[in-house]
Amino acid sequence: MADALAVMLRNRLSELERLSRVVASFGESHHLPEKVLYAVTLALDEIVTNIISYGYDDQADHQISLRLSLQAGELTAEVEDDGKPFNPLEAPEPDLKASIEERQVGGLGIHLIRNMMDRVEYRRFQGKNLLVMKKKVSL
Amino acid sequence: MEITEQKKGPVVLLTLKGRLDASTAGRLEEKLLALIDGGEKQFVCNFLQLDYISSAGLRVLLMAAKRLKNVNGKVVLSSLKDHIREVFEIAGFAAIFPIFDVEEDAVKSLL
Repeated sequence: MADALAVMLRNRLSELERLSRVVASFGESHHLPEKVLYAVTLALDEIVTNIISYGYDDQADHQISLRLSLQAGELTAEVEDDGKPFNPLEAPEPDLKASIEERQVGGLGIHLIRNMMDRVEYRRFQGKNLLVMKKKVSL
Repeated sequence: MEITEQKKGPVVLLTLKGRLDASTAGRLEEKLLALIDGGEKQFVCNFLQLDYISSAGLRVLLMAAKRLKNVNGKVVLSSLKDHIREVFEIAGFAAIFPIFDVEEDAVKSLL
């Protein structure tokens, strides 16, 4: 199997399960540790959920492009979408010390992405959002 | 995701199986809200067979904890897999939710 994989997801939350299966089978082919797979699945799930839930003003079908690649012991996961401009790296961090009453429900997904991945980069180009996430793989 | 519901004295035991993500979290939310609206106050969520959780699942649990706090109720968790426990730690949820290794201790903590 090649060291790269590209998949198109529809903007439906039911695609999240397929997303997890795609990552799992890529991980299996490349003998990636379970911990890395969980982290990458979660990071991809969080950004794709955000895109599907908040990225589009219309009700139309959209495609979200997902690429996974493995090079020099580093797993790269890229997500490209044609939704509204959204830079997750500019999202405010949640207050993790807040009590139950004060704890806000938003912002957690982005927080998980930042913490699960080693590096995250965002670019806006040609009317699209591109999020590039990298995670070192120690086999 | 499958949700199984059991009653142990005053405690509602929910056993979750599968994936708790944005496409399934709504089902848990409905279930919890219906039970809370019906007067239930003490909840144990057993995660032994839960393979995956995303922030959408955390959000539902937080919502339930907020609602229950108002009526002196509580939701506690048991049997988290390592990966799921790590998500709770990173999200700061390990400080909000009592987490037990086994279901029996989780139930006892509410009696």
